[in-house]
Amino acid sequence: MSMIESANTQSSASVTSGLPAVEVRGVSVHFRSYVERPTSLKETLMNAVRKGRLRYYSSFEALSNVSFCVPRGEVFGIIGSNGAGKSTLLRVIAGVLKPARGEVIVRGRVDSLLQLGAGFDSELNAVENIVLNGSLYKRSSEEMRARTPDILKFAELEEFAFTPIKYYSSGMAARLGFSVAIDRDPDILLVDEVLAVGDERFQKKCRAVFDRYLAQGKTIIMVSHSMGTITSMAKQALVLSKGRALFCGDPKTAAEVYRDKNYETRLASTNGAAAVPHG
Amino acid sequence: MVLTSFASSLIDYRHYLRQSVARDLKKRYKRSVLGYVWSMLYPLLMMAVLAVAFSKILGSTVPDYPVFLFVGMIPFQFFSTTINGCLGIIGANIKIIDQVPTPKYIFPASIAISNLINLLLSLVPLFLIMLAFGRPIPWTALLLPLVLLPLFMATMGLSLIFCVADVFFDDTRHLTGLLIQSLYFLSPVLYGPQHLPDWLIPWVQWNPMFFIIEMMRDLLFLGVLPAPGIYAFSFLLCLLYLLAGLLLFEKTQDKFMYFI
Repeated sequence: MSMIESANTQSSASVTSGLPAVEVRGVSVHFRSYVERPTSLKETLMNAVRKGRLRYYSSFEALSNVSFCVPRGEVFGIIGSNGAGKSTLLRVIAGVLKPARGEVIVRGRVDSLLQLGAGFDSELNAVENIVLNGSLYKRSSEEMRARTPDILKFAELEEFAFTPIKYYSSGMAARLGFSVAIDRDPDILLVDEVLAVGDERFQKKCRAVFDRYLAQGKTIIMVSHSMGTITSMAKQALVLSKGRALFCGDPKTAAEVYRDKNYETRLASTNGAAAVPHG
Repeated sequence: MVLTSFASSLIDYRHYLRQSVARDLKKRYKRSVLGYVWSMLYPLLMMAVLAVAFSKILGSTVPDYPVFLFVGMIPFQFFSTTINGCLGIIGANIKIIDQVPTPKYIFPASIAISNLINLLLSLVPLFLIMLAFGRPIPWTALLLPLVLLPLFMATMGLSLIFCVADVFFDDTRHLTGLLIQSLYFLSPVLYGPQHLPDWLIPWVQWNPMFFIIEMMRDLLFLGVLPAPGIYAFSFLLCLLYLLAGLLLFEKTQDKFMYFI
């Protein structure tokens, strides 16, 4: 597991000492791409005997020696083209993916809006899902039932409280996912393209929540393909390319780095040395 | 220690486990036409068929063979349905695993707990059959939890091992079916250990179900206490299976994400 310093006492202490909310130190994640991996035990054994071969993968680095710091109370943007490793990075910070090398220090309770509503059971209705989802965060049914009216109200789904999720539109499910997640009131919120879902009115509500979070000194790490969102909201941004940190700093410069036609090839010349640890 | 972290995870995630188990039992009992009766009919029918087929062969050496058989079937049914239920459980919950940092063994554990409740429910038809055969229910039945604990440990441990294998190998399902079937015939479900050749005994006792079934029969069928030595051996053996399962699971669980 990544080293996680949690507990509220810890986080309040680090506010005064000004330690960053998240420190990512030299994190590498290897995905194995299995080319012709035998997927059955029978084949595995037969190939081991016949060809003496047990390894079937070429390792490819989804993240390669990435380091950066996210200061407390800011919006931190992560940009990069598809497959650059943005979502992988968020998973590592969320603690669901263990890095092969390096460590992540998270000061405070982290919560992720990776795929909204991904953990829902489509057979169950909104109320049942709220209670079930809460239980995955060790919250009791009674507590979750008490929170349900507020969650549904924010999601604007009171009418559909007892409709199974499978009849929801994707926007409705996303709204419920968002409401459930912000109800947990995390110190650090990981957001993956959340502002792209929901209608304009709901997006405004989300922004209002983000503003409230920031006013409370909470931290938001967001992945977005919209440079407008990043430059208007983020104080700093990280540019990822092929798993390497290309730039970390001012979001406008970051957007320029990303928009630069040579962004993918620049990597070769700088050889990843531009992975600026920032703090 | 793997054992204490497993136990504390079960306690930490009790709200999830309770809901998951409740949902599972609801599915099993409410959504079918006859509900509870229907799910109890299956083992009863199995027992009836087997009793008819085997009482001629073994009936003369075992009195009230159908009861003898049913007592043996109950723990084995728990054992096999739990292992089968845990195959594919990681894949079914991968979206949760991808989103929430939870200890992943709560998913197989919830299967085991719900099957354990099912086992307790199947004691009702057992007691009815015992009464029908004019056998009083022995007081030793109250000590059943003492045997259910090692049964749960061994089943959980093997379920975790097969669950891990299923993540990495497609043919685990076939292999598991074959293994459970073989184990069924190597367990004293249809017969008693007295029917086995002597040379086989030292081998089959490593099958965790061997003494568990024996001890179930001691408590529910014969109304006697299991021999302390056998209980101790069985308990330790089952604990070893659990430890092996937990260690394998903990060692491999970080890789699950890459294989599903």
